Amino acid sequence: MKPSRTKLIVLGLGILVLTSTAFAAPALPPKPAKLTMAVVAGGETKGLKAILPIWERERGVKIDLVEYPYPTLYEKLVTAFQANAATFDLLIADDPWMPKFGSEGWLVPLDSTFGYKRDPDIFPVVYDLGSWPPPRGPIPPGEASKARHLYAITLVGNVEFFLYRKDLVSAPKTWNDVVANAKKVNDPNKPLYGFVIRGAKGNPVISEFTPVLLSFGAKIFDDKWRVVLNSKAAVDALTFFAKTLTQYAPPGVANYDAAERAREVATGRAAQGFIWPAEINDIVENPAVSQVVGKLGYTLAPAGPGGKHAPLIGNWLLAIPKGSTNQRWAYEFIVWATSARMQKPYALGGGIPFRKSVLTDAAMNKQFTFFKAMADSLAAPAEWRPRTSEWFAVEAILGTHVNAALAGVETPQQAIAKSAAEIEARMKDAGYYR
Amino acid sequence: MQGTIVKAGARGLVAPGPLSSRSSRYWAPYLLVAPPVLLIASLVIYPLLYNIWLSVHHYRTGEFVGLYNFAQALADPQFLASLHATAIFVASALVVEVLLGLGLALLIHRTIRSGWARTVIYILFLLPMVTPPVAAGVIARLIYTPTYGVLNVLLMRLGVIHQEILWLARPWTAMFAVVSVDIWQWMPFVFLVCFAGLQGVPLDTVEAAVVDGADGWRLFRHIELPHLETLLLLVVVFRFTDTFRVFDHVLVLTGGGPGATTEFLSVYLYRNAFKFFNLGYSAALSLFVLLVTSVAFTVLTRYLGREVTA
Repeated sequence: MKPSRTKLIVLGLGILVLTSTAFAAPALPPKPAKLTMAVVAGGETKGLKAILPIWERERGVKIDLVEYPYPTLYEKLVTAFQANAATFDLLIADDPWMPKFGSEGWLVPLDSTFGYKRDPDIFPVVYDLGSWPPPRGPIPPGEASKARHLYAITLVGNVEFFLYRKDLVSAPKTWNDVVANAKKVNDPNKPLYGFVIRGAKGNPVISEFTPVLLSFGAKIFDDKWRVVLNSKAAVDALTFFAKTLTQYAPPGVANYDAAERAREVATGRAAQGFIWPAEINDIVENPAVSQVVGKLGYTLAPAGPGGKHAPLIGNWLLAIPKGSTNQRWAYEFIVWATSARMQKPYALGGGIPFRKSVLTDAAMNKQFTFFKAMADSLAAPAEWRPRTSEWFAVEAILGTHVNAALAGVETPQQAIAKSAAEIEARMKDAGYYR
Repeated sequence: MQGTIVKAGARGLVAPGPLSSRSSRYWAPYLLVAPPVLLIASLVIYPLLYNIWLSVHHYRTGEFVGLYNFAQALADPQFLASLHATAIFVASALVVEVLLGLGLALLIHRTIRSGWARTVIYILFLLPMVTPPVAAGVIARLIYTPTYGVLNVLLMRLGVIHQEILWLARPWTAMFAVVSVDIWQWMPFVFLVCFAGLQGVPLDTVEAAVVDGADGWRLFRHIELPHLETLLLLVVVFRFTDTFRVFDHVLVLTGGGPGATTEFLSVYLYRNAFKFFNLGYSAALSLFVLLVTSVAFTVLTRYLGREVTA
């Protein structure tokens, strides 16, 4: 009996040792010479560039950034994914690209492949953005049956909020407050305008109009992707946007993009408007180019008649393409770059953070006065663009007609009716319904 | 005589030895023609056939849909709007470029005789043509933008206007802006071609006409224009196809706005192909562009052929 018990103990210990190694995290493969990362050219990568030397020093793997202008990046990524090429090991993607990337299955799931665990310091909306199929709202046909995975994690916590000249007006809570403020200060002879609009056709005007549209209680789609845009709420929102707000806006805003809007604020010609974080560090709070440093206040996007705030989210997400031959090291980088430890150096280097602990940190808020508005907007929670790969077409259609309304070429009623009809035709053609 | 030369040439191309056998002689011409044929097939014929294949398939499902994409274009208000905008752009840019280029060529041909002055003019006229269209768009955006745009400031200082003109935010002024950039960039091409053509008009004919009492207009109408006609037709063909495909500076300057007033066919096609990845529909649209330019080219070249023969 005795020898057999000893044998059993030895056998048991052996099994324990073997299984314990089986459950341990797999060892990292040998270091690659470098990781290639596709990024957008511009201020969005400032923070990333600031922390890259730390990563290279600590982990000894070089990261090659390949920068493309915004429109080109999407084209390059899609082309590389379609060929399943190992061109990139990592990428940053604008969050409206997720439906296309997710439904095509071009990205490596971070949870099931590497065991990524959610962190309570990160806003839930950030995880929602990187998940496919989307955890809320309508799901494109054929996607609902797929298992939900996390494919990407935010690197740039972009969210649109509101700025106002705190030396001239008080923080607006509603669109009525915005109009009252605008009336109070608007004087084209100075010139000082009450509100500046980024109204250029397509994505610019839609980024600006969506928070107004949603705050008025209007929607583009219902839960079955039926177009419900042609509503009184939508017409009211566009009338307010294209008729009321333009009374206090600089002339020619129908052709204004982000650069023109930031210029109007930085030169002290505009008292209120929407803003994205990158424009704050780079322009409006940059003493080298701005005349209004320290005079600006930041707050949540104003509420509509029903009291709804609808800040628009536009995060840039880190992800790994399936074609990458260095997926494990790419994942190491994602975990490292988005860790709580790196978030402060990232923010101090000009990056746009997304962790609660940094956005609500008192010392950081002293230096970056817009962090609280960002935290409030992300917690609101921020609204996302409808999760469909048809979004670009929808945005182009709506962006053409809203721009036409802003330029006075179409009435708000015409613009909304035409947009609704064309979007519905597009969704039908894309197979969303017959 | 010509046949003999070709024969001798063909014989000369065949190397002596094994290649001089009957079969080698049979295959040699095909082998010689093969490289350019393969090049054309891979660069022109294959993409064209692939484009046709795409145009009859659905962009999402990949199913064969016949002429559905073409039918969709005819019912698509954005496509019709882009066609309308393209027609206005082509007509206005083409007319102004040809008339202005021809007028300037005549003016300089008749008034400036100095060789160095003509060289300076050539260089000045070449500059816009070598400017990348995207750069031209950026420059124009800085000229036409409200508030700090050079044009508004200049017009206000001269007292021509008292209020800023919103060049890029109003339909007709935005169209004017994109047309003006095309004229600035490509009118010099018309000028240079016409100017070169005018150098070829025989001097004795001109002198004889002047002695016979021909004034400036008659000299142009009866002596210079007949010499320029062929070149002008060529210029019209080139400018028509180019303006029909205009893209770069429009995207930078107006992005197709306001509304869809400057969203030309090529811009609309680009959006469908590379923004929405609706390759089936954009392939159908590109075949439409190909059809229009080919018809225009055929009509004009036939007319050109008649002119040359006559």
